[in-house]
Parts: sequence; C-alpha cells; structure tokens
Amino acid sequence: MPAVIDPAKCNGCELCDLYCPVDVIHMEGKVAVVRYPDECWHCGACRLECARDAVRFEFPLAMLSV
Amino acid sequence: MSDRLAHDIETDVAIIGGGTAGLNSAMAAAEAGVRVLIVDKANIVHSGAIAGGIDHFMAYLETGASWDTREAYLGYVGRVAKGAADLEVHDAVFCDELEAALARTEKIGVSLRQSDGRIFRTQAMGQPGPYFINFDGKQLKPRMAMEVKRRKCQVLNRVQVTNLHLHDGELAGFTGFDIRTGEFYRIRAKAVVIATGNTNRMFNAQIGNPFNLWYCPANTGDLHRAAFDAGVALANMEYVRMTIVPKGFSAPGFNAFFGMGAQLVNSLLEPFMTRYHEMGNKAPRNYMVWGALQELKEGRGPIYMDCRHLKPKELEHLFFTLGIDKDTLPEFLLAKGYAKEGCLIEMTVSEPMQARPSELCGSGIRIDRTCASNVPGIYAAGDASDQMGCLHMAMAGGFAAGRHAAAYAKRIALLRPLDPDAIAAEEARVFRPLGRKTGVSYREFENIVRVICTDHFGPVKTELSLNGALGKLDRLDAAHADLRADNMHELMRTHEAMNIHQVAKISARAALARRESRFHPYHYRADFPQTDDANFCGLMVIRKQPGGEIATRFDRLRYAA
Repeated sequence: MPAVIDPAKCNGCELCDLYCPVDVIHMEGKVAVVRYPDECWHCGACRLECARDAVRFEFPLAMLSV
Repeated sequence: MSDRLAHDIETDVAIIGGGTAGLNSAMAAAEAGVRVLIVDKANIVHSGAIAGGIDHFMAYLETGASWDTREAYLGYVGRVAKGAADLEVHDAVFCDELEAALARTEKIGVSLRQSDGRIFRTQAMGQPGPYFINFDGKQLKPRMAMEVKRRKCQVLNRVQVTNLHLHDGELAGFTGFDIRTGEFYRIRAKAVVIATGNTNRMFNAQIGNPFNLWYCPANTGDLHRAAFDAGVALANMEYVRMTIVPKGFSAPGFNAFFGMGAQLVNSLLEPFMTRYHEMGNKAPRNYMVWGALQELKEGRGPIYMDCRHLKPKELEHLFFTLGIDKDTLPEFLLAKGYAKEGCLIEMTVSEPMQARPSELCGSGIRIDRTCASNVPGIYAAGDASDQMGCLHMAMAGGFAAGRHAAAYAKRIALLRPLDPDAIAAEEARVFRPLGRKTGVSYREFENIVRVICTDHFGPVKTELSLNGALGKLDRLDAAHADLRADNMHELMRTHEAMNIHQVAKISARAALARRESRFHPYHYRADFPQTDDANFCGLMVIRKQPGGEIATRFDRLRYAA
C-alpha cells in the first residue's frame, strides 16, 4: 500500500478524495479509502491536505527492495 | 436517446487541462473580460505535473552578468534545443511574458525567494549560468486555483474530455464525461486552449508499475489524440524522454541534485559524465541519460548519485528541496537507508515517456507566436504544445495562450453549432465499454501497448522496429471494440489507454520520418545514428488529412551560427 489512511483518525472531510490527482481515493461511507493503491503516484497531495494527520505512506516492497 | 444525465454549456474560452499552463491561460482570458471555463480530469487544486509541488523556475533576470540576458538565454535555447525549439515562438511565448510571469507568481502568494529574502539560483542542464531559481512551490498549484476562482472562472473538475468537434473546419466545441457520475457534457466554445501535458504510461516502468512515474500518470495524451483526429498538426512527437531517478522510485530530483553539486558515479566510484559531455554533471539532461545508459550497458553499473562531498548545510537544503518537488521522496530515501551524511544514492534511468526532448520546448500541438494551431479556435499551451515545456514556460506561455484565445473569441460573433448526430455517436462511443459483460480490461490492453512500444522504440529505434511497432499497434485498433469497464474509474482509464495507444502510433510515424538521430537517446535511430543538421534541423510535423490519411512535413528551423 502506498498512501494509507487511518480510519480512526479520518473525519470524513473528503479532501483527500477530492484532491487526489489520479482518482485512487474514494469515500466509502464517512471514511476515505485508497481504492486503487497500485495507481498511487506518491505525490502526497492527500497528506498535504489532511488536517487530521490520517494519511501516511508505506512504500511497496518492490520500491524499497530493488 | 439515452437516459443519461447530460449538460449543455456555452462559454467563450474553454481551457482543457487545469495544470500550470491551463490555469495561467484562464487568468489571462478572464483578465481580457471573456467567459472562461476550465475543464480538468482531476481537481485543479492538485492536478497535473506539479500536483504535489515544484521547486525550480528557469529564468534570466538581467542582473548584469553576461549570461543573464534575454540574448544569452535565447542563445542557450538555440544550442541545447537545436532542431526542436522554434526561437521566434520561444521569444514571443516566453521572453515577452517572463517578467509578468515572475511578478504573477509572487502576486498570488508564492515567493520565489528563500526564507532569508535572497534569490537562490542553481545551474544545471547545459545552462551558461544559474538560470534555475530554487524556491518553495509547494503551494503554487493551490494558489493558482484560488486565483482563477477569484477571477470568476467557471471550473468543471473531474471531467474527462473525449473529443473536439468542428464546424466547417473551425472549432465548435467538445464533449466529455464526469469520471465519477458518468454525466455527459456537450460544451460549445469560441476558442479552446489545450493544456493537458505530455503522454505517460506508454513504456515499461522500472519496477513494472506504470503509475510509478517521473511525470503525472494522469497525463495520457488525451487531447493530443483528440486534436490529431480533429486535423490539428503536431510536432516533436517522435521524442522519447527519460531522466535519472532513484532506484525504485521514479521521482523528480534531477535539478535539485545536480544544481546542488551532486555528481553521478559508476560502481567503480568514477565520475563518468565528462566522458560524454564537456560540462560533465551540468550537461543537458539527454546527455546525462545517454552517459548513464552507456555505463550501465558496458557493465559499470549500478550508477549512484554521489553527495558525499556536499557540506551538511547543502545536504540539508538538498533533502528539503527534494521534498518540495516530490513530497514523499525524502522519506523514501531515508526508508531505503540513505542517511543525509555520506549519501551515495543508487540511481537508474527512468521509464521513457512521449514528451519534449528538452526543457526548452514542448511536444504536441504545433503553435505559432500567438499559441494558435492550424485549426481556427484551437490554441495550446504548456507540455501539450510543441514549443512550451517545464514550469517557466507553462507560467509564461500559458498566460500568452489565454490572452490570444480570448482575443480570438472576441472576434467571433457566434458560437458554432455542434452536429447532433456526431455528438450522439460520440456519446455512444464513450460509454460503450460500460455495457460489456466480458472483454479486455484497460490494464491488459495498456500493458500490451507498453510492451510493443518498449520493445520497438523505447528508446532505440530503426525503420524495421518502427514499422513492426506500427503493424502491431494498427492491428490492436480492433481490440478497442472489446474493451470493458465495470465502473466510471475504469471507463476513464479505458479511454486513457486508448489515447496512449493512438499517441504511440503518432510518435512511431513521426520517428520513422526523422531519418537521423537527435537528442540522443530521445530520438536514437540505430540505422541513422548521426545528427544530420543539413536535412533534419527542424520540426517533423504530423497531421491527419481531411480524408484520414496521415502525412508528415518538415519545418526547417534556423539558428545563429
């Protein structure tokens, strides 16, 4: 998983969903979910906009291992 | 008639693509007093190449140094982008606009200065002096988005434009759909500015993920394809661009590393770039890539970014500025175990992309000094045009395009009509993949395109390899009828995949016509490995004729000796 959203911290403000430039984050009910993690560009727009510090990045194994 | 919700909108100037160039176009058109509509596939607050930030703005500042003048800068453009940059257009769309672009950047609240108030400039990419202003552009995109709203531009976010429509050979409007709701848009405009960036996801990426890219993976040549189908001439399409990126993460950072004095070394710890260019690590980007490829090919890889000689303060600034351009890069480097001190970072050559061969030109819609294409009403700006690229030209030339488009729109008395039959046919085409129970996914289809492009011209090419690619890519047209999408996100990706496929064909055809090599390795013909200025110093222009036939022509460019 690249961008990872902590559902306990997410307040459902939708900003990460709204601003993701590659449409990978979608609201599911009142929580934002990274629905297409393999299409994440790692630009960090979601984290920049999150006021609740609910977004962190976990780099996929291949990125860190090669 | 379908029961799909549809919207009809009329405007004077429509901006397709709300990245840096598009938003500057919108500001200019609004300032000219016409109605402005911005349409973006994402949200203009964070979309396009600088969605996550930007850290360099190239400029001459007339400070008195011999290299810091308009003439010296244009001399640099002519040397480094010879055969691709049209200096007359460059002078009009960049030099005439630069001073205002710098002022505009600061006026909307983004300082080009360091926290201590000074302007910090660095040198790389063959520049005769430090043309890059290093700045914190993290908020540049959100600020520009605020500015266009302040100027009362209408914004349609999350709408993918699917085709341009003409009336009697002149622009009438365009169609698109909302990538979440599927609502269909029929938009009439007196003029459009196309500012949709370059074409990515066309070649294999370093760890196999087509979204782990240097440039924005949402830029998929959507309007290159649509404009080409509408008869718009394109140029610089044969170039396949690459850069040097950290192993595992295709992130920008090239300017920051070399601007701060880092150097490439091979696995013998030899700095090798002076073997390939007299300016060593300050050489133009294509030479850096060429040098790296030779070291890798000859068995002296991996290659590394050697930062061990940098002072702690310089390293601190380097890691800070890497995070301005790519928010997640510093933590990636730390997660890989690179400490800031004694830093020797493994690098590699990035994925190829279809894009400009230099920071000093573009790749796409052939524009004149007024940013106009050959089709009345269609203008272009930024990476989507053949003469603008990079932040500095998107900021400066984007504004010029908007101003010229607005002036054109003011001269047009009436909106031209959209043909109802053509619009109905387009609506059926756009949504066809949704109705299919079985079929091919965009992932499978796009992967086939990537394999063909990588094997045949990614980046080395010959007449045989290009003809082979065109044969395979032409046969793949039939697969469009089998593409299936299960939701709106997949429908967007499916159209992106088809557009990448068509741009690949345009690129291969243009490459076939350029029987020389230029900007090695961005256009490297193994059957014509030398640069041939006598016959090919200029633009290969490619255009679909009214009958559907594809033709190329050569526009010679001239430079001072």
